[in-house]
Amino acid sequence: MSDDENDVSGLNHVDMSVRELLTEMKDTSEVITDLAYASLMYNSQPMADKVRGLEKDMDDLKYSIRYKVLMSCRTREDARQLSGLLEVASAADRISDAASEIVGLLNLPAERRPFISEMLSESGEKIRILRVKPQSDMIGNTIKKLAVEASTGCKIIALRNRHGWTYDPDDEQKIHAADDLIVRGTDEGADRLSQFTEGQEKWEFPDPIDEEDAEEDADDEESIEQELRGDEEE
Amino acid sequence: MSHLESMLLELKDTSEIMVDLAYSSLLYDNTEIAEEVVTLSGNLDELANHIQDEAISLGQANPADVARVVVISRLQASIMDIAGAAEHIADVVLRGLAEHPVLAMSIRDADTTICLAKVAPDSVLAGKTFGEISLSTRCGMFVIAIRRDKDYIFGPGRNNRMEAGDILIARGPEEGEGYFKDLADGTEKEL
Repeated sequence: MSDDENDVSGLNHVDMSVRELLTEMKDTSEVITDLAYASLMYNSQPMADKVRGLEKDMDDLKYSIRYKVLMSCRTREDARQLSGLLEVASAADRISDAASEIVGLLNLPAERRPFISEMLSESGEKIRILRVKPQSDMIGNTIKKLAVEASTGCKIIALRNRHGWTYDPDDEQKIHAADDLIVRGTDEGADRLSQFTEGQEKWEFPDPIDEEDAEEDADDEESIEQELRGDEEE
Repeated sequence: MSHLESMLLELKDTSEIMVDLAYSSLLYDNTEIAEEVVTLSGNLDELANHIQDEAISLGQANPADVARVVVISRLQASIMDIAGAAEHIADVVLRGLAEHPVLAMSIRDADTTICLAKVAPDSVLAGKTFGEISLSTRCGMFVIAIRRDKDYIFGPGRNNRMEAGDILIARGPEEGEGYFKDLADGTEKEL
């Protein structure tokens, strides 16, 4: 054991704030379940490895958030409120554990689970794979600029280009011709996205978020939130 | 798809709605939504028992299917773990421990955010069903609950209608929020 009380080498991500850590945990818990089901759907061991990697990250995040929270606790009221926060962090970790269990099913012979792909393809939000055709005008743009999810309701959970697969691609990832996209969304949304990947329709670039509008929206939201809360107390 | 598989699918889809609802209950520190998560969790327990029973009969009737039964049971257990995690989140709200401001901030900062919008009388959404206007395809926002007068409609489907005065609770990407809110408050008329 280290004598240096400032040594936090057993912890990763301690440079992040509690808010950042919890945000990261929530994001991870969502993307990890999508990837877990997608790995079953496409029988993909590399995708399962990514899930296991994310699950490890989640454990790191969990310890760091505990450390940060315990360090910041000064009063009884802090302790009360932070106990709830830590429980939410644990719940996100539980979800990632479950996702990791799900990909464990890949170790069973494939012939025992053909029904899973069939079942998942009947789900409300499905997982589909689309190829970007050379005539698509998505090419050369980042996922962020396209705002793919806001424009089609489909979230790109994995992408394959000439460098190989990227799971949970970054917003700054550019789309190239012949990329394969694994997306999660409704049938209608995936059909719409395929119009764009096939180049049959021109992408309508969304206006960037207007700060003023966003502020106004936030004010509106606050009053709606009060309404939601206020009625409850009557 | 067999009956058993459609039950398993329902289990999966419900577990996902529960997670969405759990995070919204947390964001708005809302016990009614949290209670719905607990109710859904009770429904899932029942459904899980049915799945178990049917899987056992399947295995008994046809030993070749036992391997499939094992897969079903394992997947079911994982789905129930996810539902359990949602219930834990809802429990934080029910215990009154969801006040810490960082909780709401983290949900708003996340890639998939949650927001509220109120349907104005002159909104293009008023009087339309979710099947008629596919909000998710247009702006990526999924409505997970509707507050109408004093009641809630949880996990509305294609045939549910949006009415003027409804408060919509939706999840989706930040970039979709603006258009969604504009559609609801009537400033955006074009679908």
